[in-house]
Amino acid sequence: MWKGGGSVKSECSSISKLLEKYFDQEVTPKERSLVEGHLPDCPACRMALDSMQNLRILIKSPVEEAVEKENFPWVWEKIEKGIQRKERLGLWDFLKSWLDVTPLLKRKILIPAVAAAVILILITAPLLFKKTTSYPTLSVVEYVESETYNVMVYELETPQVTVIWLFEGPEEESSTS
Amino acid sequence: MRRKASFFVILILLLSPFFGDVAFAQVQVRVRVMEASNVGSGFDSSLRDLHDQLGSLFSFSSYRLLKDEKVSLSLNQSVLLSIPPERSLELTLINQRRVTAEIRVKITRQGRDLLTTLVRLAPGRSVSIGGPKRGEGTIIIALSRLQ
Repeated sequence: MWKGGGSVKSECSSISKLLEKYFDQEVTPKERSLVEGHLPDCPACRMALDSMQNLRILIKSPVEEAVEKENFPWVWEKIEKGIQRKERLGLWDFLKSWLDVTPLLKRKILIPAVAAAVILILITAPLLFKKTTSYPTLSVVEYVESETYNVMVYELETPQVTVIWLFEGPEEESSTS
Repeated sequence: MRRKASFFVILILLLSPFFGDVAFAQVQVRVRVMEASNVGSGFDSSLRDLHDQLGSLFSFSSYRLLKDEKVSLSLNQSVLLSIPPERSLELTLINQRRVTAEIRVKITRQGRDLLTTLVRLAPGRSVSIGGPKRGEGTIIIALSRLQ
């Protein structure tokens, strides 16, 4: 008698450890049949299972009600905006997203980027606005070669005059006349 | 991805002035051949823009236009013109740095080189080559870069 009572008590103790897993449907088929075989004979374990069920109902109902009431409008709004932007990106939206500097601010690279841009502009601005219509330091005539003539190059910057004058030698003169 | 592409576009735009020298286009040059002499007087109307330049340098009383041609020069392609007296004028665009064109000018007679020169011409700028005799006059070739 004592032995049998001890055997039921020890089985009940091992089943009660499985009860939670059984309730969460995490038991193996073997454990399931073990629990389901024990429950009809053990009112204590049945009571424990009932209390778990009641506790779950007690917690679940208010949470579900709150979720239904809340409906998370701001989340939906954000998702819908995202979908619309992907579907049809207008010129203005494109410009806005292109000019949007917030990601730059977040990454803390705006200041170095602006500094680099300013340096580049400072370097390139003199080249862009440099007057290139005349060569004040360079001659218009780069070189002159002649085996037949003596050559004189006359250049003035103001007024802009450049003349290459050929002085004919006696041989050339006689052949042209 | 889009931001990366934008960054590279801005970088290229900022650096483009450094690569301006490699851009080539056709260069228009006006070639005028005139005979300057002290026989008679007069100034051809087609030479009006050169009046001040020629007048300040030479004391000829007459300038008569013999040839007036506009040529388009492409890079490294020669244009040949026959000019009096019995000479050939060869123009070749060698290089173009920003607005200034580097043009090689070669004057030959019966295949013999008489003169080779390299001139830098900005738009509106002229260079005159003169000296060869023709009768009682002197030949002057004016090369003007058109705008």
